[in-house]
Amino acid sequence: MGILLVIIAYLVYAAFWVRLSLHTFVWLKAARQLPPYHAAAGKRSLVAFVSSALDIIFFRRLFASNKVLWLGSWAFHTAFVFVVLRHLRYFLNPVPDCIWCVQPFGIAAGYILAFSLLYVVIARTVARVKYVSYQNYVILGLLFIISATGLLMRNFFRPDLIDVKSFVMGIVAFRPSPLPDNFFFIAHFSFFLLLIPYLPFHIFTAPLIAIEARGRQQGLDMVVHGK
Amino acid sequence: MENNDDRNLLKNEPGGSFTSGLTPLQLIEIDACTQCGECLKYCPVQDVTGNPLISPPEKIRLFREFIKATDGLKARLFGPGEVDRKLLEDFTKAIYECTTCGACGQHCTVGIFTQRLWPMLRKEMVRRGLGPLGPQAGLPKAIADTGNPYNKPAGDRYAPWFPEDVRLSEKADIAYYAGCTGAYEAQPMVRGDVRVLGQIGEPFAMLPPEEEVCCGFPLFITGQHDMLEDLVRRLVGSYKARGVKMLLCSCPCCVNIMSRDWPAYYGSELPFKIRHITQFVEDAMKTGKLLIRRELRERLIYHDPCYLSRGVGITEEPRAILRAIPGAELLEFGRNRLESRCCGAGGAARKVFHDNAIAMGRLAIDEAVDKGADRLILSCPACYAKVNEAMQGYGRQIRITDIMELLADLVERRET
Repeated sequence: MGILLVIIAYLVYAAFWVRLSLHTFVWLKAARQLPPYHAAAGKRSLVAFVSSALDIIFFRRLFASNKVLWLGSWAFHTAFVFVVLRHLRYFLNPVPDCIWCVQPFGIAAGYILAFSLLYVVIARTVARVKYVSYQNYVILGLLFIISATGLLMRNFFRPDLIDVKSFVMGIVAFRPSPLPDNFFFIAHFSFFLLLIPYLPFHIFTAPLIAIEARGRQQGLDMVVHGK
Repeated sequence: MENNDDRNLLKNEPGGSFTSGLTPLQLIEIDACTQCGECLKYCPVQDVTGNPLISPPEKIRLFREFIKATDGLKARLFGPGEVDRKLLEDFTKAIYECTTCGACGQHCTVGIFTQRLWPMLRKEMVRRGLGPLGPQAGLPKAIADTGNPYNKPAGDRYAPWFPEDVRLSEKADIAYYAGCTGAYEAQPMVRGDVRVLGQIGEPFAMLPPEEEVCCGFPLFITGQHDMLEDLVRRLVGSYKARGVKMLLCSCPCCVNIMSRDWPAYYGSELPFKIRHITQFVEDAMKTGKLLIRRELRERLIYHDPCYLSRGVGITEEPRAILRAIPGAELLEFGRNRLESRCCGAGGAARKVFHDNAIAMGRLAIDEAVDKGADRLILSCPACYAKVNEAMQGYGRQIRITDIMELLADLVERRET
């Protein structure tokens, strides 16, 4: 079982990089076909940069559109970042001080993550949204299972953390270690592997487009106003 | 296509990759859609059809599948896959049913520039022989034959509406481009433009009717880009030869493609500025070159054309002009300026999806009447033609006037 999960982990890891490379290849191929002259798309200024950063950090565009959904979505994404930071202690040796510092926030974020996922699903169900992305619901479901098993391990079914770290570090160092003997850890880790192929690409590209959109918006005056 | 199975499939050869007509930024935009569906709340086509299958996120989801079929791992290892022809046809219909108003992009939680993305996806469908739809297919021939998409004689371009008392200059710093829709379909509007320009008194030129060809927008928006470079070079060359420094136009679609896309087709920065007529007129009012003589005791409501507001950011100049009319009260639509709702005339969809366009136009009429406006003010020839059409046989009526048509009856030139 342990070695099977390790092999799957490597396959998932490789598939992720292949996927990323293919997307990058398509973007680069398109870059070669650009016309020799094209007008400037947007404004590049410090104000635009700061506004873009705020758009990305606080999801301001979603806030403007749907405040109810924004609350759950922003809480979920922020919590997710802290949970990932907390989990870095399993991948790094020695663990940097900054990662130790975020541990208490990471614990709180674990609870927020699970509840914000439920909130988002309830908010969208109550609002009777016209467009339903089933892939998004699959991802939300997987994330909920992962966060729920994480909370169960944290509160009720604690695995041996030394075994967990050895297992994870074994994968990272290509020296596989035995799988911890804890059902919830196995479920947690398996669903994490299942999540990776479903990871939506917007987590990488949406921030870039948010930057572009802010520049375009702030540069709108330049199109025919000549400012 | 020999058998039943093959009839349902479209081999990707010789079409090749679905990404060939898109910029890297547009490909990243396609990846960036979160499929949240927030844009549906602002989509005018959704307002009248309620069909999520033709919504922005569904179009992006389908196009991702097409890209995967030709550029995904499986395609790279084993050759391009096959895309269901029915799916491609459904996508084509969805992409052409859109009015390309850009409201989805304006409200996109990520910020995708859909006003430019949708036309490029249409271009891809044209390349594959699936688009354009219906009468849109006749546009290139009509423009090649007559210089305009309405297939009307060049001789009729100005003659029916051009005011007798306005004199044109052969060469001038300022030129006015009437545009095909204004010249053939919304003549009170272009007549108003020229009358107001005449009142301002600055010398201005216009190209002879056979030289003032289509700006390219109808071809651009329907994805038929082959003639664009030629049209743009002809027009830019003609204005350059007349020493033009500023090109004025009242059609939002023309202004949009001139300012945003002409430089790319021309191959360098344009040798003149592009300005919307309301910018020039507002300046003339500020400097005292144009005075509003008569008062108008009416409640006016101004509709922002999508390609003028979201497209090039002109929202305040028309309002400044209307506010300067003595006695007039300016009302606002619930969604105004950059957030305005399409009247249904956009994206060349109005000729193919006529019922949608009429229903959208009637939503604008309803709101204007509900707000208690006496007159609906427009500043786009396509809006002008379509909203007037939407009012025919409709129970609710409101007077529709173009902003320059209105102003022409109220202004006078300062005597010097």
